[in-house]
Amino acid sequence: MSTFEEKSKRYGKSWRSFIRDWIMLFLLIALVVIFSITLSTFRTSDNLMNILRQTAFTAIIAMGEFFVILIGQMDMSISSTIGMVSIFFAGFVVKMGMPIWIAIILVLLMSALAGLINGILVVYGKMPSFIATLVTMNIIKGINYLYSRGLPISGLPDGFNFLGSGYIGIVPFPVILMFIVAIILFIITAHTAVGRSFYAVGGNLEASKLSGINVVFVSILAFVFSGVLSGVGALGLTAKTLSGNVSLGENLLFDVMTIVVLGGTSLTGGRGRIFGVVIGALFLQVISNAMVLMGINTYWQWVVKGIILIIVVLIDSNTKREVVTTSQKARIASVEEK
Amino acid sequence: MTNRFQSDTDDTPKLNKTVPLIELRNCTMEFPGVRALDNVNFTLMPGESHGLVGENGAGKSTLSKCITGEYRMTKGELFVEGQKIKLSSYSIKESQNLGIQIVHQEFQLMSEMTGLENIFIGHYSRKGGLIDWKALNNKAKELMDFLQCDVNLNIPVHYLRTAEKQIIQLAKAVQSKSKVLILDELTSVLQEKDIQNIFRIIDILKKRGMGIIYISHRLNEIFECCDSYTVLCDGRHINSGNVSDIDQQKLIKMIIGRELTQVYPSINADFGDIMLEVKGLTAPKAFKNIDFYVRSGEVIGLAGLVGAGKTELIQAIFGVHPVISGKIFVKGKEVKIKNPWHAIQLGLGYVPDDRRSLGLILKFDIKENTILPSMNKFKKMRFFQDHKAEAKAAFDINEKLGLNYYSLFQEVETLSGGNQQKIVIAKWMLQNSQIFLLDEPTRGIDVGAKFEIYKLIKDLTKQGKSVIIVSPELEELIGLCNRIYIIYEGMIMDTVEGERKRQEVIIHSLLGVNGK
Repeated sequence: MSTFEEKSKRYGKSWRSFIRDWIMLFLLIALVVIFSITLSTFRTSDNLMNILRQTAFTAIIAMGEFFVILIGQMDMSISSTIGMVSIFFAGFVVKMGMPIWIAIILVLLMSALAGLINGILVVYGKMPSFIATLVTMNIIKGINYLYSRGLPISGLPDGFNFLGSGYIGIVPFPVILMFIVAIILFIITAHTAVGRSFYAVGGNLEASKLSGINVVFVSILAFVFSGVLSGVGALGLTAKTLSGNVSLGENLLFDVMTIVVLGGTSLTGGRGRIFGVVIGALFLQVISNAMVLMGINTYWQWVVKGIILIIVVLIDSNTKREVVTTSQKARIASVEEK
Repeated sequence: MTNRFQSDTDDTPKLNKTVPLIELRNCTMEFPGVRALDNVNFTLMPGESHGLVGENGAGKSTLSKCITGEYRMTKGELFVEGQKIKLSSYSIKESQNLGIQIVHQEFQLMSEMTGLENIFIGHYSRKGGLIDWKALNNKAKELMDFLQCDVNLNIPVHYLRTAEKQIIQLAKAVQSKSKVLILDELTSVLQEKDIQNIFRIIDILKKRGMGIIYISHRLNEIFECCDSYTVLCDGRHINSGNVSDIDQQKLIKMIIGRELTQVYPSINADFGDIMLEVKGLTAPKAFKNIDFYVRSGEVIGLAGLVGAGKTELIQAIFGVHPVISGKIFVKGKEVKIKNPWHAIQLGLGYVPDDRRSLGLILKFDIKENTILPSMNKFKKMRFFQDHKAEAKAAFDINEKLGLNYYSLFQEVETLSGGNQQKIVIAKWMLQNSQIFLLDEPTRGIDVGAKFEIYKLIKDLTKQGKSVIIVSPELEELIGLCNRIYIIYEGMIMDTVEGERKRQEVIIHSLLGVNGK
């Protein structure tokens, strides 16, 4: 008879599975070390803080997309949701003179509603999420332009700038916000029943349903998370420039997808970690930052990011995650012989 | 008009009546932990219709898959028309080139395409790079004349009747230069007059010198359309011979009359109150007017052929399959079960027939799978999951079931079928379910593991739980159940218990031959 301690070791003697689980973290560290050695401008504390600050809001948006990909779906509409939050927030505050807090709550409710509609279309309408969110993306985009006629709305109060550019001590406020959001979401995903249900639904929808999990609620909630978190990210990005802009999110969808996948989230759902997303976001930002410092044309960043995404997806879809290492196989064999 | 399909006199020079079309020698097929075929010999002559019979899991499908190249046999030799086949490179594609075709009971047609397109898909006649529809139409007409069938080939096949779809599948299989046709339980979804039509077609094909391997559960069909037979049992070759030399009784004996390879624990006879009762349950196209009950400490079985509606019935009770009328009582109280969550709250636990896609989340580890339905029991500070308590509970239950594993964090994908099934059952034991719905609980697991599952079922009943089992293996149902309900085409044909709990009695009702 074996003991509980014996059977509840997560990694046992197998270092390989530990390394595999955290491979992106090691790669990120390696990347930072290499750039720090080769680029003198990279290793300054200002620059490192800058990387963190620039990553923060994209990372928050990616954490929302993470939930949708975790349940095996996709949310294309975030780019428009970001624009919607930005332009309506500025409109509410500047044109209608609403207090900032009320405007924040209002736009976050709007982004939650966008997520809710996506979720309902996918779950009750049984639409493929790619199509459903592509449609809502365009509808929201249309509403944004109708509201703003395409023009930015500037003149937000200076105090609001703190959200995007403020500091607490030496740490930029967005970085603190990113970690707070990440920690809350980590607790939800790892330590609550609802959080575990996201993984279950993404891992096997039918089996989850038959195990009594409310798959409808969980799926819709994932889309709502995606909407709200892209709203939070959009507020931060708006605060940086103090003006609402409909096209704020238009180039972000690609980065967000790349970050989620870089973070080790399985595109078929059921596997991924919230801190993986943070690591993925930092990884991407370190590369663009280094390219800027090296004076490489910014358009090359698109090419490089594209190639990175291809490589990661190729790895994701072609290595059927090796479920058992050789030493584990030997152990299984010895167990079965008994 | 010359019909290339009917020219059975002068156009068959290659046909050699003495060389077998297919010859399998000492075929052994092993899967991890299971020997599906053990030294089986099989011969098929031109113009012969060869019935392949045996219980579910006896190895009939495995044998046909070895012949078509879908499986690569572990040991043994395969000769096609006297030519030894190099097994290392044998594949479905090669078997098709050799003229071996298989028709499954499940439809493998593109439902939005027409019959014509389905028949010729992959071998379209071309003219100047474009598909020559006129030539195809002519070919199809010849083919249908040859088979003496009249099926509308110009509408999408999903408009056709089941029997007509089967004709399209057959036509597709014989249109190319096929010599061997494997019919895998083709008739299990057909009605009597359509079956006669299939027999007629088989006759036509035999006259053309083709060899037919006919797999069926319905024994009277073997006597109607086969010349010879081969009986398999637990992967072993029991006997082969001419159908004219035997009768149905002898054949049944060969199929089931063997030394008992599985031993069943004694059946619990200490019952309590009725736990679950179903009255007049009806779901369109699945089952009609179903009545049954199960008491605490009791095991009941649902027997029936493929498509009889057993799985749908179980799923309806668990709130997955919609019903239009009828009542369900749990512990005497009428309930409306809307979804699985609701069913679980009422004390039901469902072990689906397909554990890999319905019972487990394969990428999850043992602990996560085990605690999935009972997650809410392991809380700390109201909102948070107590991982330690979860792991401890999963450990306790799995140790009790004698699971073979090295870590709770091992992915269930790495476990054998029997061990995976234990986890699906452990899920419901941990949730403290009172009524267990087991759909083919021993499907695809080896004999040793089967026995452990049987013991588990016995232990459940000893604790006063109720168990409902669906199984295609009659012997298993007889060995485990207090009472067996036999379902034929969605209706309960017969209920057997005590004295009448015998294989012959059940088989009759199973085939709709009337058992009363």
